Amino acid sequence: MKDFCIVPEPHGPVQLIRLSGSLDMFSFPRLEAQLNAFFQQGRYFVVLDCQELDYIGSAGLGALIGFAKLAREHNGDVRLLSVPDRIYKIIELLGFTRVLHVHNTEEDAVASFATK
Amino acid sequence: MNEPSKGISVGCTENRVYVRVVGRGTFQNSQPLRLFALQKADQGQREFVVDLGDCQGMDSTFLGVLAGIGLRLRQNGNPAAIHIVNISPRNLDLLQTLGLDRLFTMNSSAPPPLAETDYRKLPDTDLTQLTHSLDKDETTDLMIEAHDNLVRADERNALKFRELARFLREAIERRRRNQETRK
Repeated sequence: MKDFCIVPEPHGPVQLIRLSGSLDMFSFPRLEAQLNAFFQQGRYFVVLDCQELDYIGSAGLGALIGFAKLAREHNGDVRLLSVPDRIYKIIELLGFTRVLHVHNTEEDAVASFATK
Repeated sequence: MNEPSKGISVGCTENRVYVRVVGRGTFQNSQPLRLFALQKADQGQREFVVDLGDCQGMDSTFLGVLAGIGLRLRQNGNPAAIHIVNISPRNLDLLQTLGLDRLFTMNSSAPPPLAETDYRKLPDTDLTQLTHSLDKDETTDLMIEAHDNLVRADERNALKFRELARFLREAIERRRRNQETRK
């Protein structure tokens, strides 16, 4: 099992965060701390690059909804990028895509905040 | 020697139910375990052994199902009737974080292991292969029940899973409204 890894990469006003490994209850607090740190800095435009993610747990998805809601209260959002097919099928079936926006390319994800 | 295949395997002796998790325990393979375990509890089995020696991790739904089994056995007047054996420090940390270590016994006075040949594999519920909305609804119901179990086991879990619980309950409310509209 790959270790969970977070690599923040600013794109102007948008904060891109590249994730790899498994996002489970054990690793989620690290992402939670990172998101809280960005929000405290007033950075509410967040894109999570999931391309190298091999697992995301249901509790992690639920918590991401909470962060997306908080960001939206500040006119921002938490959006997902390049979600692997096996993960996407599950989050779509369970309805998480109703509340979490998913983008296929980095350009689209970053540009989606330009209309804000 | 062949390695055990990934997934949930189960076996029984006269007085004991054995569960072995290879790979991850997740909401995708929780339902068959839940149904099997509750059936065994209803049949009078009072002692469960859960072997996590090859378990890479567990999500909250799977842990909620384990909690539900523990709570059911407690209802029947048998505290600590689930033995968790061969647990890794990482998985132990998960159980402790959710307060489930108080519901189970850990590695102490573990019953004798079950022979490899006495295990049979339970089917996974592969959500990516499902097309029927009923299965999706069943999964939502399972996730709600599992997270309610986690809160029943330790009320501090309510805050941890607040957003997920809210999302799932909203999904059920949408389903109810859709069903009413169709009538």
